[in-house]
Amino acid sequence: MVKKRIAKILSFRYVMMAAILVVLAGGLVLLPKYEKSEGIPAEQLLSNIISLERYVSTDQISEKIISQDPSFILIDVRNEKSYNTYTLPNAINIPLKNLLDEKFEAYLNQDQFDILFFSDDNFYADQAWAICNRLEYKNLHVLKGGINKWFTTIINPQKPLENSAAKEFELYTTRKAASMFYGVVYPDQAKIKSVAKKTPRKIITVKKKKKMPTEGGC
Amino acid sequence: MKELEKTKRISIASTLFILVVLIGLLTYKRPKNTYALNTKSTLENLSNNNYFASLNEVSNKDYVLVDIRSAYEFEKGHLENAINIHTPDFLNEDNLSIFKEIKETNKTVILYGKNPEEVNLPFLLLYQLGYDNMKLLTVKLDYYQNKLITKNCDVEISKADVAAFINESVKKQADAMKKANIKITTKPKTTTTPKKVIPIRKKKKMPTEGGC
Repeated sequence: MVKKRIAKILSFRYVMMAAILVVLAGGLVLLPKYEKSEGIPAEQLLSNIISLERYVSTDQISEKIISQDPSFILIDVRNEKSYNTYTLPNAINIPLKNLLDEKFEAYLNQDQFDILFFSDDNFYADQAWAICNRLEYKNLHVLKGGINKWFTTIINPQKPLENSAAKEFELYTTRKAASMFYGVVYPDQAKIKSVAKKTPRKIITVKKKKKMPTEGGC
Repeated sequence: MKELEKTKRISIASTLFILVVLIGLLTYKRPKNTYALNTKSTLENLSNNNYFASLNEVSNKDYVLVDIRSAYEFEKGHLENAINIHTPDFLNEDNLSIFKEIKETNKTVILYGKNPEEVNLPFLLLYQLGYDNMKLLTVKLDYYQNKLITKNCDVEISKADVAAFINESVKKQADAMKKANIKITTKPKTTTTPKKVIPIRKKKKMPTEGGC
């Protein structure tokens, strides 16, 4: 009799345990809900947003383009039409709405190159930056002021007033020389032009060499 | 009796196991702020919806103005009826509950700052957290004799046609050269340089596909 009763209690216990396990399994179903929130936590995104480290000035990037630095990719997030009218040398066009298309992921999700987003101002470029930053892509930067700033500082620099500091004049001459590199012709310069025009070609050959090592597999 | 002991052992083991699972579940840390939108839908919404508000809409009663600048700047001057929530404090519980409250009453939050660029990303953050009743005020704030001046402004307007500017400078030079009877043949090359980028793109795709 005793044995029977114990057996009864025990079987009840098993039923309970089974029930608990089923409930726990049910809990697991609820867990994936949090997977929806992909990317870095909101707190971190906020602190990234506040920090202004992402901005790169037009002078910095102009210097890099002229010195044929192969370590960065320029990404134009404007639409195709404005990209075709004018863009920075060797820039790639990824319109903002196509940012997460699969074919562009290889450009964005890598850690070999620095990525520089730019648009007319830095509004859309910032948005592209924020979305890629949430996805934990690395080495992301934004061109401060975008094409508009690029035009006023590099392409069409304003001559400083005569009473301004020597530093400003220096800056002006570098910017002027840079603008010649990008194809602007000044009346007081004639022969330098032909030299400046040949340089963009060289950039391409440099880039080709860079690509070979990455192809390596085994 | 032997059998009884065996079942006892099994049941002890299983209760322990369940305990461990329970503890694991209870200590599972739920992220405090969860995104309501993933990146893809955010991007879609951004390109489809209009999230800008202009200065003449501000008087609408369903709008709540939120100043995202620091308390100091807010004190210096702010729009009428605005409340101040500085960007770094966005995720404080108090502030989040304010946003929640506004959302529950079906009002629209209008964020503004020194310029639209400054508001852009804080806006985007809240938007991704599920506060879809947000708008962004396209306004530029300035001070004139310690008085706040507001100016409507546009976002992402191309201010200058760079290509045209370069072409014109080349043209001008060409005209000058013609006067001096010197021929230039290299002119068109400058405009074609951007196109040369295309072959690079194709090659770029190869390495990523590469395997063994």
